[in-house]
Amino acid sequence: VSDDASDVTYYDVPLLKEPVWRWYIPAYFVCGGVAGASSTLGAAARRLPRLRRRCHRLSLVALLLGTAALVADLGRPSRFVNMLRVFRPTSPMNMGSWLLAAYGPAAGAAAVLPGTLADAAGVVAGVAGLPLSGYTGVLVAATAVPAWQEASQSLPVLFTASGIAGAASLLALGDHSDDEAAVLRRYGIAGKVGELAASAALEHEVGAVEAVARPYRQGRSGLLWRLAHGLTAISLLLSLPRKRARRREQLGALTGLAGSVLVKVAVAEAGKASAADPRASFHLQRARNSTQPASR
Amino acid sequence: MSDVCKHCRTAACLDACPTGSIIRTEFDTVFVQPDICNGCGYCVSACPFGVIDRREDDGRAWKCTLCYDRLDAGMTPACAKACPTESIQFGDLDELRARAGDRVRELHDAGVTEAYLYGDSAAEQPGTDGLNAFFLLVDRPEVYNLPPDPVAPRKTVARSWRSLAIASCAMGVTALVSVLGRRR
Repeated sequence: VSDDASDVTYYDVPLLKEPVWRWYIPAYFVCGGVAGASSTLGAAARRLPRLRRRCHRLSLVALLLGTAALVADLGRPSRFVNMLRVFRPTSPMNMGSWLLAAYGPAAGAAAVLPGTLADAAGVVAGVAGLPLSGYTGVLVAATAVPAWQEASQSLPVLFTASGIAGAASLLALGDHSDDEAAVLRRYGIAGKVGELAASAALEHEVGAVEAVARPYRQGRSGLLWRLAHGLTAISLLLSLPRKRARRREQLGALTGLAGSVLVKVAVAEAGKASAADPRASFHLQRARNSTQPASR
Repeated sequence: MSDVCKHCRTAACLDACPTGSIIRTEFDTVFVQPDICNGCGYCVSACPFGVIDRREDDGRAWKCTLCYDRLDAGMTPACAKACPTESIQFGDLDELRARAGDRVRELHDAGVTEAYLYGDSAAEQPGTDGLNAFFLLVDRPEVYNLPPDPVAPRKTVARSWRSLAIASCAMGVTALVSVLGRRR
């Protein structure tokens, strides 16, 4: 049996294969989050027709960009429709594909159809948009990657909150009446507070094993993680005053958008770093079993 | 340890596959149907053994098939057939487990007390419910780059869905509250 038994690896060769996803996939995480959160706000904003229309249009654009990114990342893009070949509840990606198939037509109809038809479609899109915004958090948590797997409860919340912050920020870039700006301000504040709180919860969730938490603390992913929170915190401060000021609103929207994007990019990067580090898996699995007597 | 597939009884790659390309065969092995895989790459991140991978030139996921074609023709997988020392053995699982148990006892009697079976049963490896390709090891799993306690994501994913349900409800309430409270 090895000498330093607690820290043995096979010549530091990674245990896991690194995620093969290119930047398209974090881009989809962002687009899907924005689409869902924007549809939900659109469905809720019954008395603000202009804001409602803008919400549904933003959703459609985000949906189209996101779907394009998803298909482009496939090794065989022409086979994307195979995603709907089976119904498999054990696969969050399959569940997400069905969700997208239900959400897509509703979001499209809500954005392009006239009058009451659009309203009805908007309600469907708003309801489907609820899980759409954060299911990708479940998707990454249901992997063998320690930095994702261990964040199983905080990731869906973080991704949902980031979707809200992203949608509110993008919408806030336009010109708005006082009523509309107030709605976006409140929605945005909730998203940003949620993002910061879920990030703190994530750090707590992965914090028990140092090797699992490391990608969120060090390296490229750690830097992105902190940068995202800095931007979100600045955006939150900028959006706190009720008094309207165009420049401050714009700056708050830009920093909020950047923060919501970067937090998902940071999670994706943390996963790559975590998969490359065999100690993350080994230490985590040993820690999980530390209550049981060691049999080997 | 090479990238040999363990053909887990609860296979993370199979659970993750959104297309149904990855199936359990009549031989209780796990097989990727190449005519269905669309190269989404989810199985690559799901596998706790780091076995399955996506080929860059081809775009699809590939892994050891335990020579599905040879099994179909009543032959032994090529690795077991070719192995000159019979280190790799193929056969009926119950028989293999019995043989492996005997071998461990033999080794223990010979003074190699550290010998043990890795992944031979659900009791030994609850996270995968046991492996259909298991190993006799004489050191900690980490030494062979094997995970000491791999867990298929389906065993823990329920708490993520619960968390999403709460977050989704919170988003709905947030949207309604943001709109209802609009008059200042």
